[in-house]
Amino acid sequence: MFDLYGFGGTLAAGTWVTIKLALASLLFGLILGLLGAGAKLSRFFLLRTAADIFTTVVRGVPELVLVLAVYFGGAVIINGLAAQIGYSGYIEINAFAAGVLAIGTAFGAYATEVFRGAILAIPIGQVEAARALGMPVLLIFRRIVLPQVWRYALPALGNLFLILQKNTALVSVTGLSELMRNTTVAVGYTRKPFTFYLTAALIYLGLTTITMIGNQFLEQWAGRGYREA
Amino acid sequence: METKNAMSDEDSALVVKNLHKSFGSLEVLKGVSFSAKQGEVIAMIGSSGSGKSTALRCINLLEMPDKGEVMVNGELIRTKQKGRHRKPADIRQVNRIRRQLGMVFQNFNLWSHMTVLENITEAPIHVLKLSKAEAIERAEVLLQKVDIYDKGKCYPNQLSGGQQQRAAIARALAMEPMVLMFDEPTSALDPELVGEVLRVMRTLAEEGRTMLIVTHEIGFAREVSSQVIFLHDGRIEEQGSPAKVIDNPISERCRQFLSQTFGKM
Repeated sequence: MFDLYGFGGTLAAGTWVTIKLALASLLFGLILGLLGAGAKLSRFFLLRTAADIFTTVVRGVPELVLVLAVYFGGAVIINGLAAQIGYSGYIEINAFAAGVLAIGTAFGAYATEVFRGAILAIPIGQVEAARALGMPVLLIFRRIVLPQVWRYALPALGNLFLILQKNTALVSVTGLSELMRNTTVAVGYTRKPFTFYLTAALIYLGLTTITMIGNQFLEQWAGRGYREA
Repeated sequence: METKNAMSDEDSALVVKNLHKSFGSLEVLKGVSFSAKQGEVIAMIGSSGSGKSTALRCINLLEMPDKGEVMVNGELIRTKQKGRHRKPADIRQVNRIRRQLGMVFQNFNLWSHMTVLENITEAPIHVLKLSKAEAIERAEVLLQKVDIYDKGKCYPNQLSGGQQQRAAIARALAMEPMVLMFDEPTSALDPELVGEVLRVMRTLAEEGRTMLIVTHEIGFAREVSSQVIFLHDGRIEEQGSPAKVIDNPISERCRQFLSQTFGKM
């Protein structure tokens, strides 16, 4: 049963790719989200507008369209540019990188709003105390704001990461050998759709369950110092 | 802009000249000037809205004054005009001077994700670049001084308001500032906790520290201060020794304010 008609190893390899894809997208998306929140709260009109356009567009477009646009659209653009500078061969886009870019960007747009709200939720006195002690801006962000941002942001970020993990399945349309793609291949060979889709569902469920448990611990850590009323 | 001033300014710990500040159309400070000599304790009193907290916050540039000068230990805080806004000319200079101006807030503003000890060692380690061991040593002496030696490992909201405020005083002291500024340090406290904070502040005053205290505790102001400033409607209405300002005020408004404040007590 566990060798799954010889496809057990394939699914395991796909799961590993899915995990890497999810984690890489998460990292990219978190950075994007923090930058986006910084831009939205900036004094500069241009940065604020750019961030507004970013979140409006990315949140308003289906993730599948983003994946297709980055992978196929990106290929057209890059090959067009390559032709301009006289390169005649065909450049193939790395499906993993395209996936990280598309899924991470979607996560980043939602995370921008989460971080923005979290930064605003930190009482202003926390920052003023640091300024009054002569701490420079970046130090205040790193030591005072960021550690407190997690407390307000983690519940929502956990939710977004669950969605991100499931969105990785969309990257299968690029042919990347992640869990969904490998499952489809296995179904094609064995004609056992129920077995394989159920297995894939259980694997996704396993991954998301681990995320939920992990997030609980993270929330506890981020909430240190806040337990007692 | 004058950078050189009379000798009296040079040896003052803090000189404030002609501070103006408006929030929108509301003019909160209409030209406030005073100076504090080394070791002097100045109490700023006045009804709410008189501008005393704003004056304090304009000194370390938590609020940017629209006009006026601040000089700490003979060094003028340099500013520049940029369009309609006034800005620090050199934020590093401002940060360096802020280290000389310890500030204690009404709402303590201890960092809630750090223990009391971490609150006190944070700036000495990351701003003054003290080693962790040195910073902890300094913090423990201060915890003893403010009488919460056993609370170092607690988070701020495990402490009472009075203990939090004493921790906040220790945090300010850890930078070994030239001037200590208190922004209504006992106004957020339950009445029975006010005494323990005032006790610590009295000790600091007796040590000869230069202090600037915005307060509603008139009795305390009379007892510890060498100079009392009564602020009304953004201006200094009366200024002088406590015996003069509190016991024999000339101005009718000051008299009124004092009788109302004592009336409530």
